[in-house]
Amino acid sequence: MTARLQTPVRREDHRASRRWGARHLIAAGLGVLGIIALIVLRAATAESGPAGLPDVAQDLLTLSTSVVIESLPFIVLGIALSILVQVWIPEAWLLRILPQNPWGRRAVISLFGMLLPVCECGNVPLARGLVRRGFTIPESMVFLVAAPILNPVTILTTHAAFGFDDGILVARLLGGFLIANVLGWLFSLHPEPESLLTGRFAEECRVDDGHRHGTRAEQSVDLFVRESSILMPALVIGALVAGGIQVAVPRDVLVALGSDPLFSVLAMMALAFVISVCSNVDAFFILPFASTFLPGSIVAFLVFGPIIDIKMLALMRTTYSTRTLLRVTLVVGLLSAVLGLVVNYVV
Amino acid sequence: MWSSVQRWRGVALIAAISAVALWLAASGRLVLYIHPRYIVFTVIMAAIALVLVVAAVASAASRRRRDEEAPVSRRERALGLTAAAIAGAFVIGMLVIPPATLSTATAQQRQINATAADLDALDDAAQADDAAVARFTVREWSGILRQTSDLGFFADKPVTDLVGFVAPDPDDPENVFYVSRFVITCCAVDAQPLGVPVHRPGWQSEFPIDTWVSVSGELGANPSESSLQPLVVLPDAVEAVEQPSEPYLF
Repeated sequence: MTARLQTPVRREDHRASRRWGARHLIAAGLGVLGIIALIVLRAATAESGPAGLPDVAQDLLTLSTSVVIESLPFIVLGIALSILVQVWIPEAWLLRILPQNPWGRRAVISLFGMLLPVCECGNVPLARGLVRRGFTIPESMVFLVAAPILNPVTILTTHAAFGFDDGILVARLLGGFLIANVLGWLFSLHPEPESLLTGRFAEECRVDDGHRHGTRAEQSVDLFVRESSILMPALVIGALVAGGIQVAVPRDVLVALGSDPLFSVLAMMALAFVISVCSNVDAFFILPFASTFLPGSIVAFLVFGPIIDIKMLALMRTTYSTRTLLRVTLVVGLLSAVLGLVVNYVV
Repeated sequence: MWSSVQRWRGVALIAAISAVALWLAASGRLVLYIHPRYIVFTVIMAAIALVLVVAAVASAASRRRRDEEAPVSRRERALGLTAAAIAGAFVIGMLVIPPATLSTATAQQRQINATAADLDALDDAAQADDAAVARFTVREWSGILRQTSDLGFFADKPVTDLVGFVAPDPDDPENVFYVSRFVITCCAVDAQPLGVPVHRPGWQSEFPIDTWVSVSGELGANPSESSLQPLVVLPDAVEAVEQPSEPYLF
């Protein structure tokens, strides 16, 4: 696509950037040395580093590190797919497969996760890429909400954990689909969708169009730098807060509420919010609670958790404004609670 | 300064975290943080991240002109720098503080055996032969104890070399401790503590909390007056052991 737009200046740009010389090799070598230095530092302090932290601080570090390490591969995968969508796939190709009618478009977008099985943290960079590629903002939300639930890995693990017992699997899939589409419809009524974004991301989207230069490889690397600069601090801070709350709030407070039809739903949603566990495996996590909690509350956990939790809010804050996220949390929370109650009282 | 912090903070973070992840995998310590089934995926994606980091550093050599960044307000800039500083401090912690397992502090905060254990444990145990019973871990024993307190069931099933860390029974910390393990489904964040109660008056003078021990003995009625556990291990032997290389159960 850049080829078609080439002006003389651009072509020159293009050629200059193709010239890879000694400077680049030296820089790459320095990069490799830096990485080796990091690994050596880690290996050297493995046994005798500054230990002796109090238990609570050590556990906070361990818990937050585990969230970061667990999310890292998904973030990298998400950034890679986002680069693929933005730089390597022709724009027309992506938009052509979508129906014209907005409800149909959103319904198809909510099934994108079947082809792009990234769990929720990887979906944030991907959703950002889709917005830059011409998706509307409500459509990006539909994708963010539906993809972690309607994806093959999540379906397999939920089935492995619960089978078809108590309608948990069916309620999770249908619930995720409905909530995503209702949310997308509500936000599509917004008169100024761009105000839903953070100022910075909106600005980036505007600047982006006329701004592509360099080879595709260079664009890819540039995107990697920009996306990681925005997502990584958010991930680390989300992980720290999630770890901090885990250390501070006793688990039994939540478990004690288990058998009441209403409170068990709310308690499970609170647990999902705090635990920030990935949607691909949350079914296994919640399985031991299945005998204490009612099925509806398990469904609420499985629908609410992938969309809204501490880590996800920190990551989504890179893209959507705080007000937008409050509204999303409210809508998703209410709908998940209703879904949970329906399962508890009706099924 | 602001623009280079803004540009390079993500690359620096992802480089450090990926390097730590690779080292953890190489030294067999990645299981302190995540379930073994993610190890291969994590290693592959961390390696890809490092390749991209090197490419990003190399391409910096040919950046003849900077992108014009969107104007940023003072407040946002301060916020961004603070976030980068906190994230940087955390990652330095990841780089220099020795990796550790979760401690008793978390076990107690999460309440040992608060979740229902493996529901098949009792049926499996009824059919298990002696060799299988001898291999039971904290997971199997705690599952069985949740479901039966029939002493006859345990008559020919001794506890053999049961390994776990020591955590006090909150109702009778003098006389009863749990041999405990964390069970992990995804990563350390979801660790659930499980434990098997052991009656041994004065255990605290021999084994400080968090010590790893190996316990052998018979299950019997709990002699403790204040502990709520009906059955406990009446140990023949309790020995301090090294922490296993995979401290969690999966």
